[in-house]
Amino acid sequence: MKIAVILRQVPDVVQELVIAADGRSLAKDELTYITNEGDEHALEEALILKSRHAATVTAVSVGGDEARDALATAVAKGADEALLVSIPLERRGDNHGLAAYLAPAITSGGYDLVLTGVWAADQLDAGLAGLLAVQLSFPYVGGLTAVAVEPAGNRATVHKEFPGGRLGVMEVSLPAVLGIQSAEQPLRYASVSKISQAKRTMQVKEFRGSLPNVEGVHVSRLTKPEASAKADMLQGDASRVAETLVRILRERGLV
Amino acid sequence: MGKLPSGEKILSCIQCGMCSGSCPLGYAMDYTPRRMISALRAGRIEDLYRSDAIWLCVSCFNCTFRCPVGVQITDRLIAGLRVDLLSRGVGVPSELATAFERTARYGNPFGESPKKRDAWTKDAGVDIRVVRDGDSAEVLWWVGCFGSYNKRNQKDSVALARILTALDVDFGILGSDERCSGDLPCSSQGEEGLFYELHQKNMQEFAKRKFKTVLVGDPHAYNAFNKEYPRLGTPLPVRHHTQFLADRAPELRRQMRKEIRMKVTYHDACCLGRRNGEYEAPRIVLETIPGMKLLEMPRNRENALCCGGGGGANWLDSFIWQRTRVPLPMQRVQEAAKTGAEILAVSCPLEIPRFEDAVKSAGLEGRLKVLDVSHMVADGMGLLGGT
Ligand code: SF4
Ligand code: SF4
Repeated sequence: MKIAVILRQVPDVVQELVIAADGRSLAKDELTYITNEGDEHALEEALILKSRHAATVTAVSVGGDEARDALATAVAKGADEALLVSIPLERRGDNHGLAAYLAPAITSGGYDLVLTGVWAADQLDAGLAGLLAVQLSFPYVGGLTAVAVEPAGNRATVHKEFPGGRLGVMEVSLPAVLGIQSAEQPLRYASVSKISQAKRTMQVKEFRGSLPNVEGVHVSRLTKPEASAKADMLQGDASRVAETLVRILRERGLV
Repeated sequence: MGKLPSGEKILSCIQCGMCSGSCPLGYAMDYTPRRMISALRAGRIEDLYRSDAIWLCVSCFNCTFRCPVGVQITDRLIAGLRVDLLSRGVGVPSELATAFERTARYGNPFGESPKKRDAWTKDAGVDIRVVRDGDSAEVLWWVGCFGSYNKRNQKDSVALARILTALDVDFGILGSDERCSGDLPCSSQGEEGLFYELHQKNMQEFAKRKFKTVLVGDPHAYNAFNKEYPRLGTPLPVRHHTQFLADRAPELRRQMRKEIRMKVTYHDACCLGRRNGEYEAPRIVLETIPGMKLLEMPRNRENALCCGGGGGANWLDSFIWQRTRVPLPMQRVQEAAKTGAEILAVSCPLEIPRFEDAVKSAGLEGRLKVLDVSHMVADGMGLLGGT
C-alpha cells in the first residue's frame, strides 16, 4: 500500500503577523512557518497504518524552503519518502488552486491513500482534501479520527466525528483522499538528533509544475480584527465579585 | 550495558540500595535505580524500557549524592536510558514531547515568541539594557525562560533588576537572543541533541559579547553553565543570584530600609544544593534582611526534599501524579508550615508556581507565602513600590 501525506507549511501565529504594504498579503520577512496541525495528525495516522500493514509513507511537503525541515521531521518519525512541492506563499491559501497544482504530483505517485488535515490554518476556501479528491476523481471523507484498511487493500473503514458527540463508521473504497481531524494516538516525538540525521541523509524529490490558472478566492484586503465590545472586569474582593457574578447570571436568566 | 555512557561505573555498583532508599519516588518505581542496574547487568534492558520508572525520576540528585561508589545515576544512568528511549521514538510522555518541540522551535518550553523574551522589562520601573552583538557589560544576566515569560516569575525578575540597579551594577541582558539553557527540559531528560543545539546557539551569543560574570536566577541554568557547558569545553564564569548577592551582603545590609518581622524557612533547590553544593549563599542573603527570623525545616541542605519539578518533571506532573498520588510539593509545604514559618523562601523560579499551587491544595493559603529570596531582599531595601 502506498500512502501520501500532505504537510502544508502555514504561517506560525506564535509570531505576530504583519500585513504587507500592498494591504492584501502578509509581510514575508516577518513570517516563520510551521506544519499545519491537522497535517501532523495525518502523518501520525499514516505512520500508524504503516505499523499495521506493509505500507510506504511519502511525506509531501508543500511550501517554500522551510518545507525541507518538515520533511526531515517526517522522515525522522518514520516516513519512507520525501517529496517537496514548492509553491509561493501567496498561492498556498487558495485550496482550489493548490489542489489543481498538487494533483499531477499525486497522480504520478500512484497512491492508494492520500491523507491530509481536514482544515488548514491559512486556507481561504473549503478544505484541500475534498478539492484534491475532485481533481483526482477519488472518493473523499473528512473529519476522521481513525482509519483501518482491509487486508485486501481495496477498502478502508473510517471513523468520522459528528457534532454532538456522534460517531459515524463508514466504508470507503480505495484509492481515496481522507481528511484527518485527529490521529488515533498522540503524535510521536522525533528527537533533534534524529531530525538532523534525516536532514543529512534523506533524498528529497522535487516537484515543480506550472502554477495552474485557477483562482478560488480573490483577496482584496487584509485587516487585523477590530475589538468590538470590551470585557467588563469585576472589581473587589472575592465575595463582592461572587455577588456581582450571581447578580449578572440571574439578570440574564442563566441560573 | 556497554552502550550506556555510565556503563563502566555501573559495574562498580555494590547493590547497597542507598539510591533506592533515598529516592523520594522510589516507592512508586517498579525499577528503582538499584533494580535498574541489576536489570542492566542481567541483560534485561527490554523489561526496563517497558517500565514507567525511567520517567518518574525528578532529577533530585539524592541517589547520586548518596551512592558510596559514585555512580552517576541521575545524569548518566537515567539520562542515558532516556536518550535511548527518545532515539527509538517510543514511550516519551506527550506533555514532555510538547515541551521539547517548543524548546526546539522557540527556545522556550512554553511555546512563546522568542521576540517577546524581554517584553517584561517594559514594566520593570528601572532601565534594563539589552547587550547587543559587540557590546559589553560587567554582568551579563541570563534571565531564563521562567523569569522571562512566566507572569509570576517576572515579578522576581523585576525585583532583581531593581536590586542590581540599586547596587550600581553594570549589567545587561541578552534580550531576544537568549534561548533556553537546555538543562531543564533537555540534558537530564535525555534530549541530548536539543541540548547540544541550544548549547551551540547560546555559546555563539556569548561569544559576541564581553562580560565578566554570567548571572542566573534559575538553578537549572546554573547547573547547565556550571557543569554541562564546561563538560563540552566551554566554561562560563557563572553565579546564581543568591551567590552574587551573598558576595555583596555588607552593601545589602547598608541599603536595607525596612524591617520584615517574619518567620522564614528556606527550601534548598536540588540544582543549587545537592547538585552544585551551594547551601549557604541563600541563607547569608536572607540574614541581611532586618527583623527576619530564619527557621530550618527538619530536611534541609543536602537532605532537602525535592519540589518534584526538576529534570523536565515540571511537564510530567499529571504523569507522575497518576503513578504516585502524593505530590512532592504538597509534602514540602506542609513541612514548611510545621516549622511555624510564615514565608517559604525559594531560590528557583519553578518552585514559586509549584509551591503556590501546593499551598492552595494543602489548605495553607493565608498562612504560608512563597517568595523568592531576591523578592524579599528587594522588599527589605524598599524597592518594590509599584510592582
Ligand atoms: S534523581 Fe532523585 S528522583 Fe531520580 S532516581 Fe535519583 S533519587 Fe530518584
Ligand atoms: S547507591 Fe550506588 S552502589 Fe548502591 S545500589 Fe545505588 S548505584 Fe549501586
